[in-house]
Amino acid sequence: MFDRGEALALLQLGDSAFPAGGFAFSWGIEGLAADGLLSDRSDLDGVIADHLAQRWASMDRILLRRAWHASDSDAIAAVDRLAEATTPSAEMREGSRRAGRALLGVWVKLAGPLSVSYRARVSADARLGHLAVVQAITGRDAGLTVDAAELVSGWTLITGLVSAAVRLGLIGHIESQQSLARARAFLADLLAETPDDDALPSSFTPFIDIAVSRGPLRHVRMFTT
Amino acid sequence: MSRLALTRADAPMTAARVGIGGPVGSGKTALVEQLIPALQARGIDIAVITNDLVTAEDAERVRRSGLIDPERVSAVEAGACPHTVIREDPTLNIEAADELERRFPGVELILLESGGDNLASTFSRDLTDFWMFVIDVAGGDDIPRKRGPGVIRADLLVINKVDLAPYVGVDLARMQHEATEVRGGRPVLLTNCRRGEGIDAIVDLLEREVLFRS
Repeated sequence: MFDRGEALALLQLGDSAFPAGGFAFSWGIEGLAADGLLSDRSDLDGVIADHLAQRWASMDRILLRRAWHASDSDAIAAVDRLAEATTPSAEMREGSRRAGRALLGVWVKLAGPLSVSYRARVSADARLGHLAVVQAITGRDAGLTVDAAELVSGWTLITGLVSAAVRLGLIGHIESQQSLARARAFLADLLAETPDDDALPSSFTPFIDIAVSRGPLRHVRMFTT
Repeated sequence: MSRLALTRADAPMTAARVGIGGPVGSGKTALVEQLIPALQARGIDIAVITNDLVTAEDAERVRRSGLIDPERVSAVEAGACPHTVIREDPTLNIEAADELERRFPGVELILLESGGDNLASTFSRDLTDFWMFVIDVAGGDDIPRKRGPGVIRADLLVINKVDLAPYVGVDLARMQHEATEVRGGRPVLLTNCRRGEGIDAIVDLLEREVLFRS
């Protein structure tokens, strides 16, 4: 069934032009390229697949679903703290919080009631505001279903990675569309299976984590992560 | 969660936010370095955000200047998009400014230095209350005539490095006249940031037009 209203909402919220600061996060693309581990479209497709399978599907998606089903602000904050505790890399934690807080800030200005309520909590606790958790909160404010919210979450990760690769000169604009199409199919496969409600978040992307963690040591650094 | 923390988190953001944009090398960071002590000398509580394009060099330069508490200087990476981060999607800068206000509740004015750009950048009105665009005479006296959005739409146009005019064949009076003309008479001020010349006029304008002090 094709729901035009929801499809249009997804186009708006999943658009790379949605003003939530996503363009400033490469999630390891910049660092991997600097370390000689990513130089063309084939490498990029591999990194995207790692991101989706080894981090997003098993970590961000799980956190998003847990936050989505959380009964109140305390329960959401507990999921947020779980995100903090299960992200070993300080740079990844910081990046996740910055991206989440930026998204939350937009929805506060859009007067999303859950966002406004949770923002007060996030402002008073430096450990809160992780992206996946905020995606659940803002998705509910946007009137999405949980399926739609996790689709936006996965898709905006993909567009962010590909866009960063274009701006770093790793791929061209046509290759970017090829990477997006491939990643889109992979994301659809991942979304076809629903995780258990009691699934715990986990990730294993050591090269990406190391590339992001080394960010502050690099002289040339254009992206937040 | 403390009551104090809740109160601060919910407090409205009141500090004036002033953008400083302009081409690479025009003297934006030098202007910030001059404005910091000049604003402080007038008792204005300030903080700074820099949008470095490829390094954290500008932020570190300001932090190490000894002019301001380094904790009051935040860096926002631009993801190779210096225009986007101040215009189409200023959320990261807004978050950084909000965070500075939460950490330093008395702050009255936040300077936001853009990453270097061409003549087409403009600041979002959701991000800044007032913004200035900095060009320099060594970039050529034809810059105002090109009527870039930065030159035309800024609340204040600053022409820096005026001391170099004789050495780069620039008729400074004509450049200033043309700049004022293309801007419809809106403010154009001349500076030599290396020597601090012209800075007081900018601070006067900020006090009058932004902080509403007489």
